[in-house]
Amino acid sequence: MENKIIGYIVGGGLKESFRVRLTVDPLTVQEGAFVVIESGDYHFYGLVTDMQLGATDDRFADEKSDRLPAALAKALHGQTLYTNLEVLPALMLERGPDPASPEYDIWVKKIGDTVPHPIPVKTVPPHHSQVRMANEGDIAEIFGDPNVDGKFIIGYTREQGHPVCIDMEKFVQRSSGVFGATGTGKSFLTRLVLAGLMHYNKASVLVLDMHNEYGFDDVASDTKKAVTGLKTKFKSKIRVVGLGAGATIRGQVPDFNLEISTGDISTADIETLSRELNLKETTPTTLNALFGSFKNEWFARFKAMNRDEVEVEDEKGKMKRVPHPDSVAAWANDNGANVMAAEALHDKLRRLFGKPYIVEKPAADSVKNIIDALENGQHVVLSYGEHESDLDYLLVSNLLTRKIRAAWEKKTNEFRTHGKSEPRPLVIVVEEAHKLLNREMAAQTTFATIARELRKYYVTLLIVDQRPSQIYDEVMSQLGTRISGWLGDDLDIQAVLSGLSGRDALRGMLARLQPKEEVLLLGWGVPMPLPVKSRRYDDAFWKELLGGGGKKSEAQNLKELGF
Amino acid sequence: MNQQIEIGRLLRAGTTGFVAGCRVSQLTVPAFGALVRAPLGEGYQVYGIIHDIHIDDDGLVRQLVTSDHVSEEVMKDNRERRIVPVEMSVLAVGYEQDGKVHHLLPPRPPLSLDVIYLCDDKDLVRFTDAGRFGYFRHILNAKDAPIGEVLAAHIQQAGKAHGVESGMWKEKAVAELIGLLRDDYPTLMSALGALADIS
Repeated sequence: MENKIIGYIVGGGLKESFRVRLTVDPLTVQEGAFVVIESGDYHFYGLVTDMQLGATDDRFADEKSDRLPAALAKALHGQTLYTNLEVLPALMLERGPDPASPEYDIWVKKIGDTVPHPIPVKTVPPHHSQVRMANEGDIAEIFGDPNVDGKFIIGYTREQGHPVCIDMEKFVQRSSGVFGATGTGKSFLTRLVLAGLMHYNKASVLVLDMHNEYGFDDVASDTKKAVTGLKTKFKSKIRVVGLGAGATIRGQVPDFNLEISTGDISTADIETLSRELNLKETTPTTLNALFGSFKNEWFARFKAMNRDEVEVEDEKGKMKRVPHPDSVAAWANDNGANVMAAEALHDKLRRLFGKPYIVEKPAADSVKNIIDALENGQHVVLSYGEHESDLDYLLVSNLLTRKIRAAWEKKTNEFRTHGKSEPRPLVIVVEEAHKLLNREMAAQTTFATIARELRKYYVTLLIVDQRPSQIYDEVMSQLGTRISGWLGDDLDIQAVLSGLSGRDALRGMLARLQPKEEVLLLGWGVPMPLPVKSRRYDDAFWKELLGGGGKKSEAQNLKELGF
Repeated sequence: MNQQIEIGRLLRAGTTGFVAGCRVSQLTVPAFGALVRAPLGEGYQVYGIIHDIHIDDDGLVRQLVTSDHVSEEVMKDNRERRIVPVEMSVLAVGYEQDGKVHHLLPPRPPLSLDVIYLCDDKDLVRFTDAGRFGYFRHILNAKDAPIGEVLAAHIQQAGKAHGVESGMWKEKAVAELIGLLRDDYPTLMSALGALADIS
């Protein structure tokens, strides 16, 4: 069980990293290795962030001493040339004295029933403290035991393949993020996390599936292999919703369709589209006037307005062209709005007027259906079908989220003030999050509010994105768990690491992750940063997740759902 | 009792080293890098390593070297009956008190005309195996001596004295040497260079 010693502490501190003189072949240790420093009553846990070749004198390194006999050269290199590890200290844990020693009983009495928990490193191990690779027990100590419910194996340590878990309970309590440049396995990683979340089943999940990837079976964009969709595995626990009446997703019929009633579109929804629709500064004024005139019907009424003119005869008998009574200009004149601005807005909103999923009287209140499904513990994958443009995505995501948050806020307040049942936690999965959470949008959309207020209203976000640098800093800084694949861009790396200690040390690690294979777990939602070999999303994964012990909990879940 | 090899008598001494003198005819025995001892009675003896052997000139030799022909007879006469001794500079590396070897500088140096003996293999093994090569530091401190060469000569001789364990002892000694000198590239490389030449 005990791993062999790989070196000893030779220097460093809390501000910089610890330096460890390696006593084994450097090839047996890799950057990102999880190491344990044993020092008296404490164990220090750290992460190898750098490896450096050193020499007691540069000349030993510079000169190849092949004029010495092999035995002498070997002895010389062993002592004058060495490898130092840089170990980023992350956590420390009180282990108490040796159980065999008499001090142990005293220690046990002293701590009583309190089990020592890992705490941030607050002191340093003395020089020459021995360093070893973490074993399975150490990893379970820090990241949780994979056999315990609510722990989801996200991957395995690089060198020894010990399972590393994330705590699903913590994961849903705070907003989280999955990042990675395009083509680095972000979608698969998201599928893994979603499968874990849905299987954990303590929170409902709403997936805003812009590219129709997650609901039904798909074909991987690179390997062209079939990819199991979540609906296939979770069946009735997942409702796949298609946008627009009669929409089919990957040739399959969704559980129901989402149609948006014109009455549901608020003026604020339009304002969030400012950039997409290239709206002018006059827009809010015009929208206000529209809302003032027609209240909730404003969108339908505005849509119905025409741009015609009619000829009327004035008192002098001259024919004169005036706006049609049902035209935009006529409305603007009557309501003190600027005609030009109103007409410009009308022009720009034509892109929305033509959307087939926006209807005056939807067949069913599908927004409510979605909310009901989520409240009842089902998960919803909203596939945008053929409406894949940014405009569709922004409008529908914003509108839906706004409604959902309002519903959850109401439920939370009822729970707090009237003692009604506790709302079910909800995780909203946002693809291409930078479109909704960039600097300009963040102030206007509900998403930023959700990210900021954390779990107050039981709604959190799972952000999936390839350009984290485009996401508003305030949102990024609120993300508890960050799971990141390879990132190349400096700004993206900086964004993912924002607000974390040891940024500089982790920076290089992110850039050197192996695409599609490795991910870095980060953020204050995980005990300490750690690169892991991510789990494969394949049949074996499903068998592990759903088979065996999963059955029981699934039956239990169904019971909870009232099936 | 094994035979004791006398190599000379003490000329002058200090705490860190002493100089012994001998007749030219005796010079076949001592060697550069050899371990010598000066027993001073009452179970006390001082150990040293020869780091320099030199022969001073005198007026007659100076005259003779310039003459055209020096006969065998004159040469022999000048070497054997000279009144100027061969001088051996010895570095004090330790002492023995009541049968215990210490790799420390001797508390008292030997006195004038004390007899200096060459250590045999048994002595050599006994001295070098006491402690962990503490006496290396005396050699390394001797700034005037050719440290690398002295160490190499010593390691070769002491290694040989260790018989079957020669290889192991040498390895340990070299490791210790590298450990002590790892920050001193020139000295270490000169010592290793010398060791490479003898091994």
